[in-house]
Amino acid sequence: MEELIETLKIKIIEILNLPDVTPADIPVDSDLMSSGLDIDSIDMLELVILLHKDYGVKIKNKEQAKKVFASLRSLASHIMETSPGFVK
Amino acid sequence: MRGAPIYIAGMGIISALGYGVAETAEALKEARCNLRPLTLFELTADAPLAVGGVTLETDPADPLPRTHHLAHMAADQALADKSLALDAIVVGTTTGGILTTEALLEKSVAAPHCYRYHGVGTVAEEMARRYGCSGPLITVSTACSSGAVALLLAMEMLRRGKARRVLAGGVDSLCRLTYFGFNSLQLIDPIGARPLDRERSGLSLAEGAALLLLTTDPPAEGALQLLGAGLSCDAHHATAPLADGQGALAAMQAALADAGLEPAAIDYINLHGTGTPDNDLAEARAIQALFGDRLPPLSSIKGAMGHALAAAGAIEAVVAAIAIDHGIVPANVGFGSIDPALNLAPVTVPLRAPVTTVLSNSFGFGGNNAVLTIGTQRGPNCKPSELPRPPLTVTAAACLTGAGHTQETWESFSSGRQCSGCLDDRTVTEGLPPRTVRRLKRLPKLALALASDACRTLPAGRIPVAVSLGTAWGALSETHDFLQQLFETREQFPSPTDFIGSVHNAPAGQIAMLLGAKGANVTTSGGDASFEQALLAADLLTRPGTDPILLLGADEAQPVLAPLFDGSVRVAETLADGGGALVLERGSSHGGPTVALLEYRFGLDPDWMTTLIERLGGADGVERDYGAILAGLPAYCCTQAAEQLAGFLSQTHFGGPVIDYRRIIGQFGTASAVAAVLAVQIVSRGLVPAPLSGGSDVFLNGKGILVLGLGTYLSAVRIAPQ
Repeated sequence: MEELIETLKIKIIEILNLPDVTPADIPVDSDLMSSGLDIDSIDMLELVILLHKDYGVKIKNKEQAKKVFASLRSLASHIMETSPGFVK
Repeated sequence: MRGAPIYIAGMGIISALGYGVAETAEALKEARCNLRPLTLFELTADAPLAVGGVTLETDPADPLPRTHHLAHMAADQALADKSLALDAIVVGTTTGGILTTEALLEKSVAAPHCYRYHGVGTVAEEMARRYGCSGPLITVSTACSSGAVALLLAMEMLRRGKARRVLAGGVDSLCRLTYFGFNSLQLIDPIGARPLDRERSGLSLAEGAALLLLTTDPPAEGALQLLGAGLSCDAHHATAPLADGQGALAAMQAALADAGLEPAAIDYINLHGTGTPDNDLAEARAIQALFGDRLPPLSSIKGAMGHALAAAGAIEAVVAAIAIDHGIVPANVGFGSIDPALNLAPVTVPLRAPVTTVLSNSFGFGGNNAVLTIGTQRGPNCKPSELPRPPLTVTAAACLTGAGHTQETWESFSSGRQCSGCLDDRTVTEGLPPRTVRRLKRLPKLALALASDACRTLPAGRIPVAVSLGTAWGALSETHDFLQQLFETREQFPSPTDFIGSVHNAPAGQIAMLLGAKGANVTTSGGDASFEQALLAADLLTRPGTDPILLLGADEAQPVLAPLFDGSVRVAETLADGGGALVLERGSSHGGPTVALLEYRFGLDPDWMTTLIERLGGADGVERDYGAILAGLPAYCCTQAAEQLAGFLSQTHFGGPVIDYRRIIGQFGTASAVAAVLAVQIVSRGLVPAPLSGGSDVFLNGKGILVLGLGTYLSAVRIAPQ
């Protein structure tokens, strides 16, 4: 889990092109959009694509998106539960 | 209301609701819904979404793109039985030839002539050829407000007496870019648009065209008028509207004030009403703020025919005219139950009622708001015409070229050294906050750097509130990257960020956010005349005593697309890009030199050169007023342009320095914006430096500079000391 969270942090910085952000700046247990990193709804859409593209996880609707993207930890645990690559 | 009334002398429309005014009126009376699953292009992955498509049979061998055909079909109707000449064409479009371009790029077609109708400006050019109009032409590309903005600019042109008959409106075809782009933003309602409905979840894309013949000549019968119009910009976000509706409200108030009307005069509001949760919420708040509890009947027609983007504002202007002519308020098709958050009940079945005055809303990406008032009677609060107008004066300027920012460019230019090239991104954006530019690619970076450089030394009260930006090709990097990713991932993962950035007016929207500029925000695009179009728009949008406007021209040298689309880039030795920006105020005593667009024509008629010289006061006038000429010779037609220049020089016997600026600045569509900024520098210094004059320093002695644009567009911009 922690390893996946660290991987996700690096991917987020790269995909969202956050030039002045380090992995340590990204909160694990709180909402990314209110993290003070200027992440907005368009960035969240890029993360939906990342999830689908890199982990084969599809977000079905806005309610689910809210739950999954509540925090980085909830995102990681959703990937571990549903991604074909992580299912044991 | 300013000057003469503006009459609607002809109308043409084509949309999912039908071909022509009569068919459209019938569909509206029956509250028909014509949203159907997309069939225009094959999809590899998902099931087709509902769209408002047009039935249009075209010859596959016909190189003219679908957008152009739609425009012709609407324009033919608007101009039926009319034999008088058109003075100007103003058209809003965001798609241009992109549907054709997408198919070519997917097949990796490398033949440049296949892309000759790509540019959004070619829609107006083809209409100009078809109807024998030599311009001016303006192509507005402000996303979903384009059609309404085009009508506003046409109206201002007529009010100022710059034209008597103008063809104006909007057109867009369906295409992969918008279909997959809006889908990537999760802004499409899978079961079809349901504007204002509680369960609404997005828009339905559509295509179509509407063109109106506007004139100051009173018609023999019927007296429908474009009464007024208003623009504003949210300066808030790339896509999301300002949630409290304040931007939309400002544009609605401006449109009413322009028509001299009070809200009580409106008896139908044609909503923008796309069906996206955010748009409808912001619009509802704006309407409630303006009308309180005395709401006139209102509806959105986008549940019936979808959202035709740049065409929507013009289509809805025709719908407003139909409402008045037929005494009908169209139904808000797709609406089921009231959303308590909006508390707005639209007309659900077509209402038979006399309609005299309609308010029609159009809002677009970049917080770009445009509102029209259409009706039979001007309001009592008309302001008189306000001629003559003082000139536009330059209060600040900046440019960017391969040589660097303004100072470096001037040093290179004035020493006779090359400026052409592409300045690296890091140097372009130095001084801009990293987070502001993190999602931006080349063109918006250039635009923001120009805006920031130009406004750096201005005191707070003099910062521009309006923006007029010309770009020949728009954001090519975003367009290229979006389509490449779309093809590579078999339509699965196109980037929403790239889609937002690919819109022509995205850079001007970014500037509005950077400066907090909440006034008019216009983007024009018409090949090598894009900057001149932006100057014309700026001239039309600025009234005496109003706030400053930022005028820009910028283009990027995306290595794949720029050479495909632009013949001059193709034949140039090096890729070059950049741009120029001028902060303008009308009649400011604080200003530096004045700027004026003296002539701007389309076509290669040799008579235009003679007309231009007459406009300049003949050979004597040129000698009296100008100390130097900056001539723009596009490389793709350098022989022709050189002949035009030789003709000008032989007819005027001009003996001063003539500088072929594209050789120094580089070959790109808006190189003339850089030339204008350099001309301001020369005029401010009062001399043409020796390396440029080819001899010794040439003193201007109070004379100005003529920036001459040659090629298929002929333009003359005067930069003169105040």
